Amino acid sequence: MAQDEPTALERFINGVLPENAVYRQLLGMCPTLAVTNGMKPAITMACATAFALICANIMISLIRGLLKPHLRILVFTLTIATFVTIADKLLAAYMYDMSKQLGPYVPLIIVNCVIISRCEICASKQGLRVAAADGIGMSLGFALGLASIATVREILGSGTWFGLHVMPGSWPAWGIMVLPPGAFLTLGLLLGAAEWVVRKRAERAKEGK
Amino acid sequence: METLTTLILIFIGAALINNFVLHYFVGICPFLGVSRRVDTAFGMGCAVTFVISVAALLSWAFTYFILRPGAPLPAWVWEAAGGNPETQIDLSVLSYIIYIFVIASSVQFVEMYVRKFFPPLYKSFGVFLPLITTNCAILFACLEIMKHLQDPTKLWGLHEALTLAFGGGVGFTLAISLMAGIREDLDMCDVPKPLRGAGIALIVAGIMAMAFMGFTGVEQGVQTALGSLLK
Amino acid sequence: MGQESRRQGYIKQAWLVVLLAVLYGGGLAGVQRALSDKIAENKRNETYDVIPALVSGADAANTVELRVTGKDGQEARVYQVMDAAGGHVGWVLPAGGQGFADRIELLIGLDAGLSTITGLYVLGQKETPGLGDYITGESFRSRFQGKPTDTPLVVVQSDPTADNEVRALTGATISSASVSGIVNAAIANLKEPIQRQAASGGALVLPGGGE
Repeated sequence: MAQDEPTALERFINGVLPENAVYRQLLGMCPTLAVTNGMKPAITMACATAFALICANIMISLIRGLLKPHLRILVFTLTIATFVTIADKLLAAYMYDMSKQLGPYVPLIIVNCVIISRCEICASKQGLRVAAADGIGMSLGFALGLASIATVREILGSGTWFGLHVMPGSWPAWGIMVLPPGAFLTLGLLLGAAEWVVRKRAERAKEGK
Repeated sequence: METLTTLILIFIGAALINNFVLHYFVGICPFLGVSRRVDTAFGMGCAVTFVISVAALLSWAFTYFILRPGAPLPAWVWEAAGGNPETQIDLSVLSYIIYIFVIASSVQFVEMYVRKFFPPLYKSFGVFLPLITTNCAILFACLEIMKHLQDPTKLWGLHEALTLAFGGGVGFTLAISLMAGIREDLDMCDVPKPLRGAGIALIVAGIMAMAFMGFTGVEQGVQTALGSLLK
Repeated sequence: MGQESRRQGYIKQAWLVVLLAVLYGGGLAGVQRALSDKIAENKRNETYDVIPALVSGADAANTVELRVTGKDGQEARVYQVMDAAGGHVGWVLPAGGQGFADRIELLIGLDAGLSTITGLYVLGQKETPGLGDYITGESFRSRFQGKPTDTPLVVVQSDPTADNEVRALTGATISSASVSGIVNAAIANLKEPIQRQAASGGALVLPGGGE
């Protein structure tokens, strides 16, 4: 019965690059732009999202038999909000400075379309292992997306990476990169680059045939 | 007059200086998705402004009376049940869940209203109206209001909360309408294939954000001007 | 599939939502129980960890938080700084105001007589990176040390010639002026009320605080 549905491994690999949340699906852009002015906040946000996504996927997968069409979005939202609150409290307790820096963007994970769409597409229909693999794959993909943008912005904007100086002292830090315009421009150009790579690959595949 | 100055500053802050879309990065999904034509963009902006105001009203009420540390209603219930009046009740851990329910209800309410009084508009919105629930801007406004209800010495009243929400909505409408106007013209330009769609929209947004950065420092000037004007 | 079974379907649905709400509520209450003390401590430490750097000889554990009504009629939080032996060594005033870009939050350290500034710390700011955000740096903040509180501070572009002049940051005059403006406003608002309350011997204390 479930032969035509993706397996756990397929879900995992899918989430990392082919259906990457940032570059292919264009979901969850609010945190992508907001917290990528440095690697540290970007990775912290990726971890918080991973926690919420994986826990929500597991929970929804466990109760998927009880869900009926009309109220399922409500159940998804309730579950996600709970896990995000837990993640937020954990951050405030153990990484207070990071929590202050990330500010309102941690609770905004609740409306991050990535999590709701994974609950809808995968967790509410497939078993525990597949849902967990999907969550882990998507989180990895999201983290990759955030890390790539944060690397560009932090190195060009502050000359550091994870707080360590990587650029020579004479590098004039491009302040604009850590400000809002830099976020938009970086994401736009990187999206263009990703699209170009995908097109080239498709062209080559077509030529190969 | 102090209040009026504060309200004007909050409004200008939310709408222009710290524009929700171009400075705080909230509401990006509809900003990129619904900004193809100016009339749909403007309609979406108005709907979001409506929802954000209703949601701000409800979330302010919930936070002020129930959710913040030291809120009156839980304290009253606790005392009535015979508890120690010294203990401070803090229900803020339920904030996010309550906010998301408030937002979902606000969207439902606005949907019913629009369906009843503006049927053609309702049809043109299609699936985008219920999608406003996942619009970060609304939850963000609720979170900002919650932030200003934490310090018992500096609590925001309903007027300040509504001004922030309305200002945020106006700012969102402004940004999305500007983007739609630019994209309508971009449709006739020769955009490189990899950048078509989201890529070029984001680059345009970046340039718009740079333009809006020009509003930095306006708050101080307005404060001084209003101070001398309203003396 | 009649009306009756559909209504039963909704009731069955509602049971699940209510059950989940109770379950999640319980889970969150547990998390709150476990973590709220740690979070409150973090918030408190944000200020208390800085106090020794603002007032020399301070012992953060002995410092008391008080509420004083300022000249503007609003209640403000101030910290009476004690040393390890319990002697009064100074005051710390939290202050905030509009900077160039956004709000700037400060902690101002004063001596016990409220006559000299002993230190300045920037709790939060969103000034221009690379220009205005150097107000958080030691070199700018140290320019306020030893300044008197009897006259308002003025920011100047060259080296200060008078006691109440402070050298501005190059390229960030407005941010520097904002900081001095916030300092002036806080001192003007709270200096006399604190002196009055300390003199009368009855300062307001927060519930659960020391004294």
